[in-house]
Amino acid sequence: MSICQDLGLNFQQRMGANISQLERDIGSEQFPPNEHYFGLVNFGNTCYSNSVLQALYFCRPFREKVLEYKAKNKRTKETLLTCLADLFYSIATQKKKVGSIAPKKFIARLRKEKEEFDNYMQQDAHEFLNFLINHINEIILAERNQSTLKIQKNTPENVTCNGTLPQNTEPTWVHEIFQGTLTSETRCLNCETVSSKDEHFFDLQVDVGQNTSITHCLKCFSDTETLCNDNKFKCDHCSSYQEAQKRMRVKKLPLILALHLKRFKYMEQYNRHIKVSHRVVFPLELRLFNTSDDAVNPDRLYDLVAVVVHCGSGPNRGHYISIVKSHGFWLLFDDDMVDKIDASAIEDFYGLTSDIQKSSETGYILFYQSRDASC
Amino acid sequence: MSTTMRKKTQVSFVIREEEERRHKNGVSSLQLDPIQGRLYSAGRDGIIRVWNTATGVQDRYIQSMEHHTDWVNDIVLCCGGKNLISASSDTTVKVWNAPKGFCMSTLRTHKDYVRTLAYAKDKEQVASAGLDRAIFLWDVNTLTALTASNNTVTTSSLVGNKESIYSLAMNPPGTILVSGSTEKVLRVWDPRNCSRLMKLKGHADNVKALVVSQDGSQCVSGSSDGTIKLWSLSQQRCVSTIRVHSEAVWALLATENFTHIISGGRDRLVIITELRNPDNFMIVCEETAPILKLCFTADQQGVWVSTSESDIRCWKLPPRNSLSSDMYSQSNYNTNNVYQTQPTHHIPGGPAIKHYTVLNDKRHILTKDTNNEVALYDVLKACKVEDLGEVDFDEEVKKRFKMVYVPNWFNVDLKTGMLTIHLGQDETDCLSAWVSAKEAGLTTENDQKVNFGALLLQALLEHWNHPNRVNEAGMKVIGNNFFSVPLHTPLIFSEVGGRTLYRLQVGDAAGDNERNLLIETVPSWVVEVAVEMSAPNLNKLPFYLLPHSSCQSKQDRQKKDRLVANDFIQCRKVAEHVVEKIVGSGDANGASAGSGKGSATEDSGNDAPEERVELLCCDQVLDPNMDLRTVRHFIWKSNVEFTLHYRVLKQ
Repeated sequence: MSICQDLGLNFQQRMGANISQLERDIGSEQFPPNEHYFGLVNFGNTCYSNSVLQALYFCRPFREKVLEYKAKNKRTKETLLTCLADLFYSIATQKKKVGSIAPKKFIARLRKEKEEFDNYMQQDAHEFLNFLINHINEIILAERNQSTLKIQKNTPENVTCNGTLPQNTEPTWVHEIFQGTLTSETRCLNCETVSSKDEHFFDLQVDVGQNTSITHCLKCFSDTETLCNDNKFKCDHCSSYQEAQKRMRVKKLPLILALHLKRFKYMEQYNRHIKVSHRVVFPLELRLFNTSDDAVNPDRLYDLVAVVVHCGSGPNRGHYISIVKSHGFWLLFDDDMVDKIDASAIEDFYGLTSDIQKSSETGYILFYQSRDASC
Repeated sequence: MSTTMRKKTQVSFVIREEEERRHKNGVSSLQLDPIQGRLYSAGRDGIIRVWNTATGVQDRYIQSMEHHTDWVNDIVLCCGGKNLISASSDTTVKVWNAPKGFCMSTLRTHKDYVRTLAYAKDKEQVASAGLDRAIFLWDVNTLTALTASNNTVTTSSLVGNKESIYSLAMNPPGTILVSGSTEKVLRVWDPRNCSRLMKLKGHADNVKALVVSQDGSQCVSGSSDGTIKLWSLSQQRCVSTIRVHSEAVWALLATENFTHIISGGRDRLVIITELRNPDNFMIVCEETAPILKLCFTADQQGVWVSTSESDIRCWKLPPRNSLSSDMYSQSNYNTNNVYQTQPTHHIPGGPAIKHYTVLNDKRHILTKDTNNEVALYDVLKACKVEDLGEVDFDEEVKKRFKMVYVPNWFNVDLKTGMLTIHLGQDETDCLSAWVSAKEAGLTTENDQKVNFGALLLQALLEHWNHPNRVNEAGMKVIGNNFFSVPLHTPLIFSEVGGRTLYRLQVGDAAGDNERNLLIETVPSWVVEVAVEMSAPNLNKLPFYLLPHSSCQSKQDRQKKDRLVANDFIQCRKVAEHVVEKIVGSGDANGASAGSGKGSATEDSGNDAPEERVELLCCDQVLDPNMDLRTVRHFIWKSNVEFTLHYRVLKQ
C-alpha cells in the first residue's frame, strides 16, 4: 500500500474475494439500499485523483448536485464536469453493490485540461481538489453566462462600458456547498483603526503542530500576527507604513468545510518539500471557535464525513487513500479496493508522535459536513 | 565605490512652500520652555516648529526646525532650553540647537522608527526607543559636544524587550526607567547600571504612555486597553486601575507632586483624575481628534494639547480642589459636563494632503487635502500649479483625462501630509518616460525628445559642484536648459524603503561640505544623467505591421513585418515608413529594415503621409498624433504581439 505501483493489473483476480468480503463485513441486511461502494482503478499514480473523488462522492450534498447536473444536461460538450457527472452516475447506477470502476474518461479529460496533471507522476491531492472545485465552478459560471447571453442578446445596453458583461453574482451550487468567508481584521498600532476585508475560500489551509488537534490548528490559524519590520502595514488613515496586528477569522461557515493540513513544508537546507508527520487529532464532531463577532452561522456543528490520507514520506512519492463515512459505518478506499473499517481505526491516521520515522499514513484533507445540511 | 553590497539608493524630494508656517499633519509631541515662553511642537510633517506662547501675540510662529524626513514622534527639551532632542520615523535621533533651530548632529543607531524619548533632567540623560525594540541611553552633554571630526559616541543599551516599544519614562534623577510595548507589560530598569529591575503585568494591550514620580517609587501607565494604571514600583504591583476613558489612552501628564493625572487619547477627551481617589475626575475639554500629547503651561494652570490633526490648543485646567465637588465628574460622557468649551489659546494648523491621483501625462498630480481643497501639482518642476478650492475631486480628475500613455517614473508618498516624490529606484524605472519636448511645453521646436526623470535629476542637482561637470569642450554645464526647481526643495537620499542617508535643500548643494557628502551618496547612474549629461536609453517597442484586410492592393504579401521603434514615436512616423518603404518604393524587403527612428526623409511627395496611408489597430483608425505606447496601452491593451495595420488611401 505504501508505494504507488499497483496499476490495477491484477484487480480481476482480487476482485471476487474482495467484494464478497466487504459485503460479508457489512452484512446483507445492513447494506444500505441505493448505495454503491466502488473502487477506482489506478491508471498509474492517479491515486491523488481517486482518493479525492471518493471523498467528494461521499460528500452527499456534492454528489447530489453532480447527479442533478447529469440529469439536467443531457447533450452538452464534454467538460471535466460532464466527465465527473458521468463517473458519479455510473457508480450510482451500478447493478452490483460493490466492485470497481475505471475513471478512464475523467482522467483523460483531466490530462487535457491541465498540463501539470498530464503525466504519470504523483500529484498533490490538495492541488487537485483545489483545481477541480474551481474548475467545476468556472464551468457552471460559463454555462450560466452563455444562457444569460442568449437571453440578453437583443439588449446590448446590458454590456457595460468596459466591454464586460455584468458579473452574475448569484452563487453557484459549488459556492453553496464549499464556499465560506474569512474576514481579516487589521489594526494599525499607531491610530488603532481596525480595517477588515472579507475573502472567500473553498478550503482552509492550516499549519500542523506536533501532538495537537484540529481545533488547536484552527486557533493558530486565527492567531494575531504582527506586521512589522519590512512588512509594515500601509495604513490609509495614517497615510504611512505602520506596525499592525492582523488576524483571520471565519465569518461565514461553509456547508462542507474542507480542511487542508499543510503537511508538506519547504525546507531550505534540503531544497525540497519534507513531509511533516506530526500527530494531529481530528475529531468526528467539530465546532469552530475562530469565528468573527459578526459571523452569520457561528454555531454550526460539523461531522467528519471523509478524509484523504497521504501514505509515505514526500509530496511526490507515496500513495493516497481515503476513508469515508457512509450510513453510519466507515469505509477505506484504496484505489480499486474497498474495505470496511472500525471507527476506532481512524486514529491510526492522526500522525506520528515521534519525528524519527519518515513515512507515515496521515490525514491530509478533512471533509466536515454541517449537521444542518439539508439532506 | 567603497562598498559592494550597499542597498539601492532612492532619490526623493518634497514639493512644498519655502516657508511652511503651519503644521501640515498631526502633532506628536510638545515641549515648553517656560523661561523663554516658547512652545516646541513635533510634527508628523517632519518639521519641529517653535511658537511664542506670550499672551496677546497674534502670530505665534517663530521658526521651523527642518531636517527629519518622516514623522517626528517625540521631542525633549534639555540643558535648560539650550538643546532639543528629537526622535523620528526616519529612524534617526537628532540633536538641535534649540534657540537657533539648527540640527547639530544625527544619531543613526536605531534600525526602525524611533517612537519615544525619556529625559532625566538632573543627569542630562536622554533615552530613546522604538520599533527596533532597543533602548539607548545618551549623555546629552556628550551629544552636544559632537563635531564633524569628533563624531563617535558610545551609548549604553537596555536590552530585553521582546516587542516594539511605544513609550518610555524616566524620573528626573535618572534612577528609574520604564518602557511600555506591545508586549503589554512594563519593563523597569535602573539606568545607572543598565540592570533589569522588574516586569509588571496587568495591561491587556499596548502601553502607549508612561510617567514616573520624582523619587521613582510610583509610575502611571496609559494603555490601548483604555485603562490608566497606577503602579507602586517599590511594591512591584498595580495599586489602582483608572477607567475614565472609553478608548485607548495615548497621553499622560502628572502634576508635580504626583497627586493628579491628566490623560488623553483616542476618545478625544482630556480628563484630570485624582490619583489617590480615582472617582474624583473631571473632563477638562473635548478635542476634535485623538489626543497625542499633553504639556503644562508655564504656570501649570493650563494644558497644551496636540492631536492627530494639525491644530494645537491650550485649555484651562480646573482648580485641583474642585474635583471632589463631583459637579463634572459624572461617568457619562456628556459634552455638557465638560469643564472648558473654548480653548484659551489656539495655534491653527494647516491641511494635510490625503488623496492624490497621478494624471496620465505622468507629470501632474491632483490632490485633495483634509479641508477638501483640491490642488494641481507639477512633479517635473517640483511646484504647485494651481489651487482649485473645494471642488469635486473625481470630476477634476475626469476633466483632465487625456488619452496618452507615459510609463511610470516616480511614486507618491503622503506620509508627511505634503507631497514626497520618490523617483524610480534605478535607471530603467526612473528614466523610462520619454516625451516630446514640444508636447511637454518646454520648447516650440519639433522633434526634440526629453526624458522626465533625467530633466528632473538635472534640475535637482543643478547646483552640485561635481568635478565631472564639464562637457566635451571643457565648458561647465549647468541644469537642463529648460527649467529649474525651487531652491528650497528638500532633496532626500535614502535606502530603498528604509533609512534616510542624506537630506539637503536643492540650493545648498553648492557648498563644499555638501559636495563631498553628495559624492559619497549619489548613485553612479544619477551622476551619469544629472552631471555628465549622458542621454538615457530609449525604450524600444516591438510591433508587427500588416496590410489591413480591406486593403486589396498588396494582398500577396501577408508576411508579418516585425519592427522596432521608440515607444513615444507618433503614428505619423509609422505612416511615413509605410509610404516610403512599402507603398511608395514598392520594395518588398524594405520593411524589415530598422525603421521609425525618425530617419524618414521629408521628400515623400506633396501629401502628408497620414493623408496617403492610415493606420489601424484592432480595426480602429489611429490619430496620426498618437504615439505607439498610447496605442498599445489604450487600444491593443496587451503587452504581447502588438500589431498595427495600414490601409492605403491614395497612391
